[in-house]
Amino acid sequence: MDIRLLRPSDIPLIQHANLENLPENYFLKYYLYHALSWPQLSYVAVDVSRPKKTPYDYPKIVGYVLAKMEEEPTDGVQHGHITSLSVMRTHRRLGIAEKLMRQSQQAMVETFNAQYVSLHVRVSNVAALHLYRDTLGFQTEKTEAKYYADGEDAYCMKLDLGFIKDQIEEEADGEAKDEGEAVGDVGSDPAEKKKRDAAEKEKKRKVKVGRGLGVGELVERVETKKE
Amino acid sequence: MPQPLSSRDQTLFRTVIKNYEDKHYKKGLKACEQILKKNPKHGDTTAMKGLILNAQGQTEEAFALAKEALQYDMKSHICWHVYGILYRTNKNFEEAIKAYKFALKLEPESQQIARDLATLQIQTRDYQGYIQSRAAMLKARPSVRQSWTALAVAHHLAGELQEAEHILTTYENSLKNPPLKSDFENSEAVLYKNQIIAERGDIERALEHLETAGKDALDRLAVMELRAQYNKKLGKKEEATKAYRALLDRNPEHPDYYTDLIEVLGLSDEAERKALYDEYATKYPRSDAAKRLPLDFLTGDAFRQAAKSYLVSMLSKGVPSVFANLKHLYKDESKKETLPALVEEYIQELKSSGDVNGDSSKGEGAALYFLAQHYNYHLSRDLAKAMEYADKAIALDPKNVEFAMTKARIYKHQGDTQKAAEAMDAARQLDTRDRYINTKAAKYQLRNDNNEKALELLGMFTRAETPGGPLADLLDMQCIWFLTEDGESHARQGHVGLALKRFHAIYNIFDIWQEDQFDFHTFSLRKGQIRAYVDMIRWEDKVRDHPLYSRPALAAIKVYLDMYDASQSTNGVNGTSGDANGADAQEAKKAAKKAKKEAQKAEKEAAEKAAKQDPNAAKKEEVPGKKKDEDPNGLKLAATEDPLGEATKFLVPLLQFSPKLIDAQIAGFEVYLRRKKYVLALKCLNEALALDENHPALHAQAIQLRHALNSDMKDLDPKVQEALKETFTAVPASADLKQLNAEFLKKHGNSAQHRIAAARAAVTLGEDRSKAEKDLVDALNIKDTTFEDAAALLEQLKKWKSGEVASFKQAAHEKWPEVTVFA
Repeated sequence: MDIRLLRPSDIPLIQHANLENLPENYFLKYYLYHALSWPQLSYVAVDVSRPKKTPYDYPKIVGYVLAKMEEEPTDGVQHGHITSLSVMRTHRRLGIAEKLMRQSQQAMVETFNAQYVSLHVRVSNVAALHLYRDTLGFQTEKTEAKYYADGEDAYCMKLDLGFIKDQIEEEADGEAKDEGEAVGDVGSDPAEKKKRDAAEKEKKRKVKVGRGLGVGELVERVETKKE
Repeated sequence: MPQPLSSRDQTLFRTVIKNYEDKHYKKGLKACEQILKKNPKHGDTTAMKGLILNAQGQTEEAFALAKEALQYDMKSHICWHVYGILYRTNKNFEEAIKAYKFALKLEPESQQIARDLATLQIQTRDYQGYIQSRAAMLKARPSVRQSWTALAVAHHLAGELQEAEHILTTYENSLKNPPLKSDFENSEAVLYKNQIIAERGDIERALEHLETAGKDALDRLAVMELRAQYNKKLGKKEEATKAYRALLDRNPEHPDYYTDLIEVLGLSDEAERKALYDEYATKYPRSDAAKRLPLDFLTGDAFRQAAKSYLVSMLSKGVPSVFANLKHLYKDESKKETLPALVEEYIQELKSSGDVNGDSSKGEGAALYFLAQHYNYHLSRDLAKAMEYADKAIALDPKNVEFAMTKARIYKHQGDTQKAAEAMDAARQLDTRDRYINTKAAKYQLRNDNNEKALELLGMFTRAETPGGPLADLLDMQCIWFLTEDGESHARQGHVGLALKRFHAIYNIFDIWQEDQFDFHTFSLRKGQIRAYVDMIRWEDKVRDHPLYSRPALAAIKVYLDMYDASQSTNGVNGTSGDANGADAQEAKKAAKKAKKEAQKAEKEAAEKAAKQDPNAAKKEEVPGKKKDEDPNGLKLAATEDPLGEATKFLVPLLQFSPKLIDAQIAGFEVYLRRKKYVLALKCLNEALALDENHPALHAQAIQLRHALNSDMKDLDPKVQEALKETFTAVPASADLKQLNAEFLKKHGNSAQHRIAAARAAVTLGEDRSKAEKDLVDALNIKDTTFEDAAALLEQLKKWKSGEVASFKQAAHEKWPEVTVFA
């Protein structure tokens, strides 16, 4: 097992793992959209022991977390969001999901100054609920009725990331250095932000039904509008 | 001459553009008509009308209008721009670039045209063109950081590292105030510059730059990793050690950190290395890597001890992946012996201690599961024992999905696809809400050529509301594994159309993946994540080297080759099929016709059934915007007049991106030989020989090529003759081919695969086919012949329409009663 940052070349097999494991699937472009917008946040677990069958084998993905920053936080607070998390059932009980999540959470705070992270989970998914609530400390915010395409409800869960921030500050103090603190809106050009928001608004609808439309035409359209 | 518009119509024209951008096509068209009523020859409006029609999928009308528009108004940049966009959306990038350049000449100030041109240039990897465009765009907007970054990226991708760095530095120097630490775009730009410095090979300067400008970059992991790598490369032991230790504290599951740290510390002694891992295993008790990685290098007693403690801890936790995580150690004979022995020991100890775990997937269950997998693995295979252990595990925990899955895998290795499919379905029923086991069950159905049942299973997890049912959803979602398995299954069953349909679908998905990068050329500049973008570009450059491409591509080529060979023998032309006499040819023709009819019938039935399953499918398919598939069963694909041309389409990317894949070279030879492209065929043969000179297929190919040249050489261009003479050394021109083949057969006669090669060569050389067939039939009696070999023998006999097929199958069935293909 190797837990490391997601690379663009991993994406075909991440998509493959997703299609094997979960009913919520996305176009390859939607994975690219994550990898190119927030490359610090998504992690994979790779089976490094697997003998190669061809000289062109890509590392086999046995787990991944696909994460993002909310581009238009309705509450105005910078926060991350878990788009998809999956570990092959043949690779469970090694704590892979937890390890993937912790790496991602750390980067959310460091790179994007996230205050909290949110996610959706099927109300029937006992194992996932156990991980989020009991192991990672998420709290259930609310229930979203019929969130999933097949009609199942979702719990909307949240985890305050203040503890990571505290840790980072502690370490910085420990080194007796004034590291300063990232404040304010990341990428604060208001025109830029507006554009991204517009793109995200469209996209959000797609994400909700588990379909990644990708940046595609949305981005293009917003661009042409600007001129 | 252009018609000037009234001010009212000018306003209207602006709404046309807005309507188009907002995708209000109907409104846009209406407004166009309004303008054109009064100004029928207005170029820009005509062009916009074309653009809107294009967006609605009416490509032909769109191009006609765009051309018309240019006749009205040759000097309008809008007309040229639209013309370019039409070409771009229809993938003719070359013409699109030309049109954009015209448009830009007429309207040099237009940022939009400049950007469209630049995007297309980088999409087609016209680096020099892209540099020019980006330089011009920088001139127009020098105050925006993106303009500078973009030009630097252009130089970087073109390999001009120094220039790239210089552009970034120039921008930095123009800043009056230092950017804030929280300025994300700046943070990324600094790390991007650092990457360029390192790629230039100046690690010392890269480290210095990292520790000054990059020190506070927001991507902490990147800073930490670069720091460690640079210090290591520069031999700064102390700093590198500190840096790698910091990384391990952050993520103790990343093997590279351990190996790099060991290298830095110069630990070569087994015990010293183990001590380092132990340190982290103690510090991070939940880390798997620290405990498992030493098993790779430990030997003897030290291995035994470490393996024991690892196995005990994993088995008692019931970690299902223990075997998967250890099987790579089987390359080492002694480890291959030790591991199962330790597991047996563990079971004995459990029994004597009388400890019973409440969870039967842990402890003994896990140990039995390990042993079942051990005996199922190809390096330690004993399928009867594997089954025994699997059954024992299942008896302990009948509801365990993994245990049940293993049983299916064992049947698969026995060649019993029927029972394998049944067993996997039984496993699926233990957890019907899990898609993973559902996927496996569907895959096993496909391996057993039960395509309908597979789709039915998959339909439990695809989106119900997708028009066209599960198949359409899997296509939409780019589900390559299914398309590959389904295509291969149809190919096995002789459903040529459906097989090709699936393989072409995969080909098209790769086209989409290649196009997917298009929007990111501008998007990434806005996002400022340049390193990730460059990474993506480098990956996209070779996206088709993926096994997800090469496997179905090879399968498609095989279908086309068989198709071509069948057509040759039915036409009575003695291509590669030797000298079939008249009666044979007629026989073959009849058989081919019959096969075709059967295939069509099967496909028709399948289609009818599919339609029945989803009565709304037909209705739903007429959703506007989505083009109807005119050839859902691939009948048009199967009717191609040019199978070798089609095969070449799949072949070219294979040879370009996976040249080290021997099967690609072998397939390349087969295609090029039939096309009489002897130089290319020889190139494939030589590449393949360089990869594995003992591969049996290459013997047949070398003889086939020499045989073909013996008759065709004289008709070739003298230069080609020269080239062939110089590089074709595998079989000399003077060789007695029949004798050579006989020697080969004598030498390798106890290998089924070599016999197939020799038989093929013999038939090529016009030798008695019945003798060749006999050699194949007889190969069944060789001790080492596996059922997979026998299946290959059978396939060859079938291809020759040999009279031995039935009796061979019978004999094989007797030898391997469980194997489904001989049943």
